[in-house]
Amino acid sequence: MIVQDAKGSRHATTTSRPDFQIIAKTLDQAKHEELAMELTINDTSYEVQSDGETPLLWVIRDELGLTGTKFGCGLAQCGACSVLVDGVVTRSCVTPLASVVGGRITTIEAIEEDEIGKRVVEAWVDHQVPQCGYCQSGQVMAATSLLKENANPNDDEIAAAMTNLCRCGTYNAISAAIRDLAGETKEG
Amino acid sequence: MKKALAILLVVLVIAAAIVAWFVTRLPSSPFDGQPRAEISNDLVARGEYVARLADCVACHSTPDSAPFAGGLEMATPLGSIFTTNITPDPQTGIGNYTLADFDRAVRQGVTPDGARLYPAMPYPSYVKLSDEDVRALYAFFMKGVEPVRMANRANTIEWPLNTRWPLAFWNVAFVESGRYEPESDKDDLWNRGAYLVQAAGHCGSCHTPRGPVMQEKALDETNGNYLSGALLDGWYAPSLRNDHNTGLGRWSEDEVVQFLKKGRNAHGVVFGSMTDAFNNSTQFMNDDDLAAIAHYLKSLPGDRERDGTPWQYDAASNEKLALSNRTDNPGARIFMAKCGACHAADGRGKTPWIPPLAGTTSSLAPQNASSVNVTLNGSGRVVTDGVPDSYRMPPFREQLSDKEIAAVLTFVRTSWGNTGGPVTSQEVRDLRERTDPASSNPIVLQMR
Amino acid sequence: MLDTKNLERGDLASPTPTNISRRGFLLATAGVTAGALVLSVGLPAAPARAQQAGMAPGTRVPAFLEIRPDNTIRFLSPFNEGGQGIFTAMAQIVGEELDADPAAFLVENAPAGEDYKVMGAPFGRVTGGSMSVRSSFDVMRRLGALARQMLLQAAASRLEVPLGELATEPGQVVHAASGRKVSYGDLSETAMDLPVPDPDSVTLKKQEDFSWIGKPVARLDVRDKSTGRAVYAIDVKVDGMLHAAVQHAPRLGLTAGHIRNEDTVRGMTGVHSVHTLDGAVAVVAERWWNAKRAVEALQVEWSDPGAQGTDKRYMPADFSTAAFRERLANEPGEGKVAEEEGDAASVLQKAENVVEATYFSQFLHHAQLEPPSTVARFNDDGTLDIWLPNQAPEQFQANIAKVAGIEAAKVNVHSPILGGFFGRHFLYPEANPYPQAIKLARDVGRPVKVIWSREEEFLRDPMRPMAAVRMRASLDEQGMPQALDIVSACEGPTEAVFGHNPDKVDPTAVEGLTGKAYAIPNRRISQIYVKNHTTIAYWRSVGNSMNDFLYEAFLDELADKGNIDPLELRMRLLKGNQRLSTLLQHVVDLSGGWKRGPFDAEDGTKRARGIAMASPFGSHTAAIAEVSIREGQVVVHDIWESIDPGSIVNPAIIGAQINSAAALGTSQALLEDTVYEKGEPQARNYDLYPILRPDQMPRVHVGIVESGEKMGGIGEPGLPAVPPAITNAVSHLTGKRVRSMPLSKLTFDA
Repeated sequence: MIVQDAKGSRHATTTSRPDFQIIAKTLDQAKHEELAMELTINDTSYEVQSDGETPLLWVIRDELGLTGTKFGCGLAQCGACSVLVDGVVTRSCVTPLASVVGGRITTIEAIEEDEIGKRVVEAWVDHQVPQCGYCQSGQVMAATSLLKENANPNDDEIAAAMTNLCRCGTYNAISAAIRDLAGETKEG
Repeated sequence: MKKALAILLVVLVIAAAIVAWFVTRLPSSPFDGQPRAEISNDLVARGEYVARLADCVACHSTPDSAPFAGGLEMATPLGSIFTTNITPDPQTGIGNYTLADFDRAVRQGVTPDGARLYPAMPYPSYVKLSDEDVRALYAFFMKGVEPVRMANRANTIEWPLNTRWPLAFWNVAFVESGRYEPESDKDDLWNRGAYLVQAAGHCGSCHTPRGPVMQEKALDETNGNYLSGALLDGWYAPSLRNDHNTGLGRWSEDEVVQFLKKGRNAHGVVFGSMTDAFNNSTQFMNDDDLAAIAHYLKSLPGDRERDGTPWQYDAASNEKLALSNRTDNPGARIFMAKCGACHAADGRGKTPWIPPLAGTTSSLAPQNASSVNVTLNGSGRVVTDGVPDSYRMPPFREQLSDKEIAAVLTFVRTSWGNTGGPVTSQEVRDLRERTDPASSNPIVLQMR
Repeated sequence: MLDTKNLERGDLASPTPTNISRRGFLLATAGVTAGALVLSVGLPAAPARAQQAGMAPGTRVPAFLEIRPDNTIRFLSPFNEGGQGIFTAMAQIVGEELDADPAAFLVENAPAGEDYKVMGAPFGRVTGGSMSVRSSFDVMRRLGALARQMLLQAAASRLEVPLGELATEPGQVVHAASGRKVSYGDLSETAMDLPVPDPDSVTLKKQEDFSWIGKPVARLDVRDKSTGRAVYAIDVKVDGMLHAAVQHAPRLGLTAGHIRNEDTVRGMTGVHSVHTLDGAVAVVAERWWNAKRAVEALQVEWSDPGAQGTDKRYMPADFSTAAFRERLANEPGEGKVAEEEGDAASVLQKAENVVEATYFSQFLHHAQLEPPSTVARFNDDGTLDIWLPNQAPEQFQANIAKVAGIEAAKVNVHSPILGGFFGRHFLYPEANPYPQAIKLARDVGRPVKVIWSREEEFLRDPMRPMAAVRMRASLDEQGMPQALDIVSACEGPTEAVFGHNPDKVDPTAVEGLTGKAYAIPNRRISQIYVKNHTTIAYWRSVGNSMNDFLYEAFLDELADKGNIDPLELRMRLLKGNQRLSTLLQHVVDLSGGWKRGPFDAEDGTKRARGIAMASPFGSHTAAIAEVSIREGQVVVHDIWESIDPGSIVNPAIIGAQINSAAALGTSQALLEDTVYEKGEPQARNYDLYPILRPDQMPRVHVGIVESGEKMGGIGEPGLPAVPPAITNAVSHLTGKRVRSMPLSKLTFDA
């Protein structure tokens, strides 16, 4: 669910607290039995047989074969696994599958279907951002989410929003690319 | 005059002798004089379950030691105590203990040679154990545990503070003498729960506030201090009473059971020192016993005055997290960079796997030790039904400064209706210096 | 902006197997920089059709090039792409002589094979040492020229005109007289079947005629890497594949004994089987997540046989980095001489003004973002296909053959692009997952992919060495250094990986202490070999990654003791060295003139600058860093760095590499430190091993000096001068001499 507040800022919110019965059902799967869950990924519906506890990342990579989303740390430290859930950047390695049922998930494979995402990719190409490239799916997702929340971010806002790690140190190129995109909207 | 002095001297000598007798005497045990009996396998199995209830392994084993060989360091302000070898090895363990010796150690804190145990051994709780449970426990330690030859490590408390005979007087003052006696006006479930919580479970050791000489301020429900929350060892063990904010007020009995059985529920996930209690003890309790515990705990009234205005979620805080707002708010900014990915941008977590920060006891309790500790050090792995957790809390001590941790926790503890209040850099610094990060390795202590 | 003409996705994503086998490509499917997500084909190796015996590596054109009908050019690179831009550089170099736009290239890493050992002895080929371009520049140009010659020959037959009347334009042969043009794609079929001409028969272009070499040509892999289409080893999937996760012994040298709950774990969801490996246990499952949860649940009784001889490393239970550091600092002896000039000992003995200090470097993780993985598949014909991140296919092939017990010729090594490497993906005993994948694939009779979790990676990642370096120097009356004695207690990565020779100094242990250009008349640089319990590795910039810090920081200490400005001291010590004086002045100019400070910046902070130089991997660098202190911790604001690599191929990539090296250098200087206690690394993820964050990244200003000297490296040379530039600035700003890293372990007053 997306809450649009008065200032136009957006937050993904989890649905109201799951009730005891649902949690009990999930936790009492002593052997972690699998449940059928429907996921919407890149505008396609998938029925996934999985344990609700499984991280979204591994469902995306191993079940759906969408390997553009990367495994880096498994601990929400690096951001290589970033996807969009209802347009908001989300670290899929720490996202239990059951928590995103009903959400609209976008992975890097469909980023160019998104108007802002497409522009981010072009800016990445213009600025020759990637080096090894492993973190860049996540960086592109984070930048897209940032520009969706704030089309015209200043440097401090870019710094506050872009927290994914890059071992190759492409940070300066990333912020230059985003500054360019912010500039575009200024002029436009 | 000389005569008066002589009389005084005689009186003093007699008094000293009485004191000496008192502080080294062996208290009586109902098992005194009983011959060694055959130990049945059933009794060993029953004893193993009691050992789970009492969580003996958490203190008498280390991840590197053989089961119950001791050696766990317990830091105290005076120095370190090392837990002892309680395997049935005759030389270094308790192999020569009679049932009466064992009983005196467990329920009265006295060793066969008359020495007094530090009350780090929770005999003030175990004193309430039934004779049957003590007999079973003894059976387990004699027949169910492998003897291990490992000498106990000397404690590092210096003289004169290492003098333990005064504990005899401490015991007179603070240890109730009786076994647990059922309350006749309560049902069996309640009485079973009370017995488990007060005796083997020794929940009060952590959750009941302590007095000036470290005594628990209450040992049962007749006193409102009982299980009302306490600060111990860098963690704040929250109230287990029906306090809306800092206790179990919002939890159903089923949710209490779920927490103790699975380590998590919609309200939270075990962390800090509770992780050990869950990993080694509560999850092994049977459903009837867990239901009894939940039933008993839910009978303990909360204290509105202590607990404050009932918490309600306040969504207005989320606005502070908006990009344009958080650039000027260090706490909100750090929250989004470090916490929000797991605990969700609305603070509600991804329950039951990742706990909420909105409305949890650690965010509402005025004591902020648990908030600070878990942020600095993360939490040990929660191992449920033998399987380590999917999502662990990482330590942030290498990533965030004292000031940054203070800022983000101040944000957390004053947002979404939380009333825990701010954290200062000094508080973070103090805890940083005397704590270590939790291991990312799952630690499963073996009992056999 | 840069012009990029990347191919459309469809072109990249559809390998054309028939074409490949017909051309005799030893092509693998993985490593294709495209969205071929299910890489189930795994084409068998086929012999090259244009078989000519006795060809030198780098000359068999069809082994490298396939020009498709649509004029796209597939090129098998001897070197692997891990972010350093080598695929693009190769396309520029080959394209230059082939006369083809680099943008038309589709580059992959070549399989193992003699043809690709273009570096010559002793390396054959490795992607490392910043050697790729400089070691193969001429060979690769000649390869392009030979291919062009073959296309011209084919065109001469096709058009029935003398070869002398033909010329080329990018991607096509032109017959000016008739105005006819034939595309390379149309000619390729015929051309590739022609015998390769004598390499000496072609002449290479003059530098002034270059169209692409030396230009900021756009990288070929940027779009794929911005859209998730780039495929790394961890992404490889083959039909029928199972997934495996491992739990390593907590310490090296321990072996797995009884598993208490093996039966229970075998019953967990999705679990296929439980295995005991060398120093590890594994779970094979239908999905990696199931395998990972199950393997973590295994309760293993590890047995500790103690140290078993000297071959294998053994980690004792009481090992700590703190104690090891002390041991290194107090290791007795004067060491084995690595470099000596004059008579340092006697000068020091007589000198009045002697400066002494011990400096330290720390263990470091590679911390590349892609965790190690391997896919192994045994085929019915007895061959083994294996996909793994690696920097040296032939070395891996030989070792894999040994592990698998089959001939090397039956091992098809596939080398997908690397999700960062920094030295991580060489052949390290006990630090690669392929022996596990091979055993598991054989045991379960199906292909297996092993992925190491970050925690398992940080447990087995081999370390950048730790060193304790005792420095002694004497100053003359003018404050100039007269003698320098350096004793480094350290195990170098080369001796750690390939074996220690007691008669020799490991150059990779001391490089950066040795090879300095400063004219200090009496020098003695030596190494005391101290074998480590930890495994030791190459790390970006290898020995230079630490030694230039150790040396250049001490040099600033000498400058201060001698009351000479550190820039002035360096200038004086480089007197007569035109190349380095020019470089030093270049970085000073780049930074707007030397301004050591401390000075007040516009934002109210007090700042200072430090300067340092390094000469690693055939290139030379000079760096200036500007720092301030915020709440007791160091902030690096700007880094100016000039590099003289002799001559260049792609200035845009050089700019990116200097940024990258500056980031890693800053990260090392500020944050990184692998700490062991009780025999185990305390950090098992980025939580306790922070690496540089975006908000800690300095601005980086790059200067390139093309002196025209012999070509040097690019990927690594940017790093070594950065840490000392930072620490020298900090020492000056705070008055507190920095002799160790990381700075986060020190506190400074604002």
